[in-house]
Amino acid sequence: MKRIFSHLLPYRKGMIWASVLMALASVGQLLLPAYMSAVVDEGIYAQDFPVILRYCGIMLLISLLAVGAGIVGRKLASTVVSGFCADLRSHIFRKVMGISHRAFGQMDTGAMVTRSTQDVGTVSWVADMLSSNIISIPAMFIGGVVLSFMADPILALVVLCSVPLVFVMVAIIGRKVTPRWQRSDDYIDRQNELMRQRLRGIRVIRAFRREPDEHRKIAEATDIMADNIIKANVSMQSLNPIATFLLNSATVLILYLAALRMENGTSVATGGDVLAIVQYVAYIMTGVLAASHAIVMIPRAGVACRRILEVLDLPEDEQNQGQEQEFSGKVTLEDVTFSFEADSQPAVKNANMEILPGQRVAIIGSTGSGKSTLVKLLLGFRQPSSGRILFDDTPSLDLTGGCIRRQISCVLQKTAIFTGSIRENIAMGKPDATDEEIWRALEIAQIKDFVEKLPDKLDYFLELSGANLSGGQRQRIAIARAIIKDAPIYIFDDSFSALDFLTESRLRARLRQELKGKTQIVVTQRVTTAKNADRIFVMDRGLVVDAGRHEELLERCQVYREIYVSQTGGEA
Amino acid sequence: MGRGSRRRFRSPAPKLTNKDRLALYGKVLKEARPIWKWIVVSCLLCCVIIVCATVGPKLTGALTDEIYAYWQAGNRGIALVEPMIPTLLTLLGVYTLGAIMRWLNMYLMNNVVSHHYTCAIRIRMSDKVRRLPVKFVDGTPVGQILENMTDDVSAMGNSVHQVVNTMMQGILQMIFISVAMLLEDWRLGLIVLATTPASVLLSVWLSGKGRKYHHQNFAEAANLYSVVEESYTNFATTKAYNLEGDLVGKHAAVNGRQKEAQEKALFLSGLAQPIITLVSGLTFIAVNLVGGFLAVKGLVPVGTVVTIVLFARQFSSPLEQIAAGVAQMQRTSAAAYRVFNFLGMEEEDPRSGEVDPKNVKGDVEFRHVAFSYDPQTPLIGDLSFSAKQGQTIAIVGPTGAGKTTLVNLLMGFYDIDGGEITVDGVPLSQMDRDAARELFAMVLQETWLFRGTVAENVAYGKPNATREEIIRACDQAYCDHFIRTLPKGYDTIIGDESTTLSGGQKQLLTIARAILSDRRLLILDEATSNVDTRTEILIQKAMNHLMEGRTCFVIAHRLSTIVHADRILVIRDGDIVEMGAHKELLKKNGFYAQLYASQYDKEEA
Repeated sequence: MKRIFSHLLPYRKGMIWASVLMALASVGQLLLPAYMSAVVDEGIYAQDFPVILRYCGIMLLISLLAVGAGIVGRKLASTVVSGFCADLRSHIFRKVMGISHRAFGQMDTGAMVTRSTQDVGTVSWVADMLSSNIISIPAMFIGGVVLSFMADPILALVVLCSVPLVFVMVAIIGRKVTPRWQRSDDYIDRQNELMRQRLRGIRVIRAFRREPDEHRKIAEATDIMADNIIKANVSMQSLNPIATFLLNSATVLILYLAALRMENGTSVATGGDVLAIVQYVAYIMTGVLAASHAIVMIPRAGVACRRILEVLDLPEDEQNQGQEQEFSGKVTLEDVTFSFEADSQPAVKNANMEILPGQRVAIIGSTGSGKSTLVKLLLGFRQPSSGRILFDDTPSLDLTGGCIRRQISCVLQKTAIFTGSIRENIAMGKPDATDEEIWRALEIAQIKDFVEKLPDKLDYFLELSGANLSGGQRQRIAIARAIIKDAPIYIFDDSFSALDFLTESRLRARLRQELKGKTQIVVTQRVTTAKNADRIFVMDRGLVVDAGRHEELLERCQVYREIYVSQTGGEA
Repeated sequence: MGRGSRRRFRSPAPKLTNKDRLALYGKVLKEARPIWKWIVVSCLLCCVIIVCATVGPKLTGALTDEIYAYWQAGNRGIALVEPMIPTLLTLLGVYTLGAIMRWLNMYLMNNVVSHHYTCAIRIRMSDKVRRLPVKFVDGTPVGQILENMTDDVSAMGNSVHQVVNTMMQGILQMIFISVAMLLEDWRLGLIVLATTPASVLLSVWLSGKGRKYHHQNFAEAANLYSVVEESYTNFATTKAYNLEGDLVGKHAAVNGRQKEAQEKALFLSGLAQPIITLVSGLTFIAVNLVGGFLAVKGLVPVGTVVTIVLFARQFSSPLEQIAAGVAQMQRTSAAAYRVFNFLGMEEEDPRSGEVDPKNVKGDVEFRHVAFSYDPQTPLIGDLSFSAKQGQTIAIVGPTGAGKTTLVNLLMGFYDIDGGEITVDGVPLSQMDRDAARELFAMVLQETWLFRGTVAENVAYGKPNATREEIIRACDQAYCDHFIRTLPKGYDTIIGDESTTLSGGQKQLLTIARAILSDRRLLILDEATSNVDTRTEILIQKAMNHLMEGRTCFVIAHRLSTIVHADRILVIRDGDIVEMGAHKELLKKNGFYAQLYASQYDKEEA
């Protein structure tokens, strides 16, 4: 919590001023009943109207000052809170953008998103509450007690005791409510999961006539969720009647004690003072009630802070040192072994490869054979556990990550589309690309026809995750982005999987023409994609089992033959 | 708070006219019919609460009056406490009663009104999904439906709760207190009645100003969410293209906009409080001034001034609540509109007609079928073909050509526009929808598993299947072996996003499901793209097993199926361009021949 709120430091001046001003505003509010008691005692009792007039004048002045202080205080507080929240959001985002691929993999992406948005939201909400509500409570409370003390210490004791009692109630209820909220949150998630599952599977569900069961499951989750929410709300909203009752009882007690002391002659309070004290209690009551809802949320902010810190504590990217160098396109793997965890099965075992400049290479293998891991190693996202990767005889470890990635243009297995126009998405590969170059890249990627038919053409806006494109269209946009990036090495990791054979065949033919002289590495599961490559590496369970041309492999490599037969039915 | 920010989806707010709003409030009100008795009870409770809230200050005023008079007279030695005790006890009793009634009412509101408007409506929406056409589900983002069911319903429920509870209580309280104040002293009463609405109007005006920035703040927060989400999901590409700097810039721009909107929203909504305080301060002063004047003249006792001051404090809060309630009603009317819109959605028309799945042979015929998803672009003009019992019909074509349309029509997920589809000569339109669907088993490319055990997933099409039957089906689908290697065998919990199983293994489970359900007709969408070789061989074997003796419709990706199919439908841009057996089509040397060749192509360099 401390580290998160250290982001408040740059704003400390504004924060202190805001607190002071808002405290002043609440004290000003409390002074009104104090003056009212003077009106009663000195004005009404003494039958002195001018005194009443004078005191009313003072009250007016105090009210105006208090409002002025309140408004300026709010202004400062809103600047502080919004600045603090923006800084925190930006800090987390920068942090994540700066961490290594490896560190990124340590946390679930969804969890990371939640921490950067929802958890920050919770912290901001509490910060807002702190600044607008809670800050004025101590001032109100202390002011009320002090003013009461000046009138009558015994009566002040009642005020002093009643407020903490209310806060104890708040604490108890807060503790009771938090697990309920957690449970109801869990069941909201459950209900959503079930519903999402049901909508996705609507065809299967209807085909098997299982709608009633699916409905029943959702209804059950909804019931549990509603039950928890209602119980949590009942506990939370119990605060209001209970606190009101406690403070009202304090009023009754004050009236009783005041009367008793006056009868005994021990009272130092005037009649007006009693009136004032009764009103202090009322003021404090209003403030406490407003704050109680915020105070209950503080534990939630604590949880959120802890989760944010999990992100901030991830290690920074270490691969920033090394030399820069121009690649010719030659890549050599020397006995490369890699495991994700120190003691787990290696995902790639003793891989040796030599890829020459301008060569068209395919890496084929089934899922789990280690193909995509190899791509991660080539891109420098991960480092080999043993062995080394060389670019033109320079070990990759001596190069910066930036240098490697600038000279490899790749399409990764998980197609990445960013919100924005088609133009922006393609130009990511070459920031200064002209429209002509972009059209050309689209043409090579076999998607020009589609883009031309769009109403906005290159300005067509792609939605989040490319939701307004089909899988094959997304893949081709990503391919166009890779084509426009001028690099000596191109990697296509399973990038043709959503394309039909006809389109793929045209695309490969165009790539062959356009990327002549560049090194092409195509990672695939399809024999048709691999068979025309200059050299095919066959991977199986982390091992490079064989390498050669299609015909050679068909003859001597059993793994390759198996793949071939399963995909073509053994014909051709 | 943070709860709202979890949303991933934001539906556009519908434009509502005042007439729409009224109709909507009517619908919301109508919805209250089953709980009207409780609402009446709540009304009665509110009356008691208000009486207590009015009597409290009145008695407090009277008591202070006595103390004040005693102090003013300076008559020591005379009993003061003794005569006050009954009133003090009454006051305590009134406060206690008020607190208990308040609590009871709150409890009632939550358990009846909130429950009715949130939980019950959600369950009805879930029930509604059962009868919605697949067309609707296909055309609506899942996020939107989820948003309707969670956020929209909550917003509406809260609003109803607030309106029923606080507004009702607020209005009653205002009436009572106004009357009480005027009875106490009409002059001072009028001062309060005149000034308090001013503060409410001011705060309503301010919150209206603030709302614009609140909306902006929410909108920017949603934008920021998208930036964060896509940057994280595309992390590898971001690194590979060195885009970190660009994305930080994109984030900073949106973040800056959010900061500005947030600052303004916070400030404006924060302004309401000091301004209300000022106005209530002014009321306070005016009461003091006039009250003081009247008291000096001996026209009112001091206690009256105290009572009015206490009343004034209670008078402003219900007004604020009513104003807040009205504002919330407007804010949430969009949500309520979406909820009722969803509940009023057109449903799948139930077809009727007896079907006996046991006696179905499986002859399927398409007679002059016409269909289109959207009337603007006709898809199938006039399609006729027949499949005899046990035959295999393959459907081939490039990606996105509309191969799944046939599945949609056969299963009655979409209704045909013309012609008819018959099974054993009986048109599908004359069969009960659910029963007709029960004639088919499907294995779709997109595997669908739900969170549950392996056994439950396999038995989805035959819920009463015994463990032996399940194991036999799995054995036939070549998945018994790997299921046994799972930590808990058939009782292992799996899910759609489960990483325990590979894509191919999931596919095998859906094949086992189809085998177990044992239907005469079969629809297969062959999946190959993410399956490893060994599993693929198994899938192929399992599929062959499954197809034996059944009439099959196969969306084909693999050549072996195409070659042996009795009839091949070649689809391009939604049209059936060629139809026939493999050899016939090759002879034609048309689109099919071209497609077929592309799988064995030699690139021309």
